[in-house]
Amino acid sequence: MARDASTIIGRGTHVRGRVTGDGNLEVQGRVDGDVALEGDVVVESGGLVASNVSARRIVVRGAVKGDLVASESISLEEGARVVGDLRAPRVAIVGGLVRGYVQSGDAQGAPRAAAKAVAARPAPAKALAASAPQASNGSPAKKAVAPAPSARRVESAPRAVTLAGGAPAPKHGPPPPVVRALKKGAKGALKKRA
Amino acid sequence: MASTVIGAGITIEGEVTADEDVVVQGTIRGKLSARDAVTVESGAVVEADVTSGPVSCAGAITGNITSTDRVDLQSGAKVVGNVKATRITIADGAQFKGNVDMDV
Repeated sequence: MARDASTIIGRGTHVRGRVTGDGNLEVQGRVDGDVALEGDVVVESGGLVASNVSARRIVVRGAVKGDLVASESISLEEGARVVGDLRAPRVAIVGGLVRGYVQSGDAQGAPRAAAKAVAARPAPAKALAASAPQASNGSPAKKAVAPAPSARRVESAPRAVTLAGGAPAPKHGPPPPVVRALKKGAKGALKKRA
Repeated sequence: MASTVIGAGITIEGEVTADEDVVVQGTIRGKLSARDAVTVESGAVVEADVTSGPVSCAGAITGNITSTDRVDLQSGAKVVGNVKATRITIADGAQFKGNVDMDV
């Protein structure tokens, strides 16, 4: 179906954003943003794609900085410059320069991309309020040092803090920061006293 | 012959900047700037502010159009937004809602 529905990003054209849909795409200009198509993508010489590309077939004669994933084939031809991973059932590097990981064949190995560490957002104000009184049982110097590490620490155990809500401090949340804060504070205090 | 064509079935979300003609048959959301002519064909959807040379529209544009030249809304066009251009034509059968600014 895609044959006639051809999209051309011309030489003088710069696209910043996602390109999606079905149809063929020819890039002579520049695209910054993910390209995800059902059809074929051709990056012509002079064309530059600075993002990931996923399509049925990908032919590169220009420059790509990003991962290429094709459901059928990837072909890098003369003049291609690719920095990124290639993944497709068939990968042909006829010419050009590549830096990246290449995976051909049907084996869909686990993507190398690191799993996103989803850092839950804690309620910083509450966390600080909860940890402040405990930190304050030391010297004033310790008190000043306390908030930063405690706020950082809370990120790793946000659930305990948010669930606790009431006055009794949770067993897991606050203690580590106190230890840390004391360590840092103690050093500072020692230096000052020495 | 236009140098840049956004084919039917293609959606671009973001900004398109062109130093040449742009023909839209698909969908653009975001912003469209062209130094030259922009043609929005029948069936195309542009949800973006358009800044360009001459604009010819037979599709749908939602957004402000600023042209250094003329804007032609053809029959079947549907435009919602303000239009600023030196000349504007609205063909019978075109739908248009917005302000017109022609530098009187």
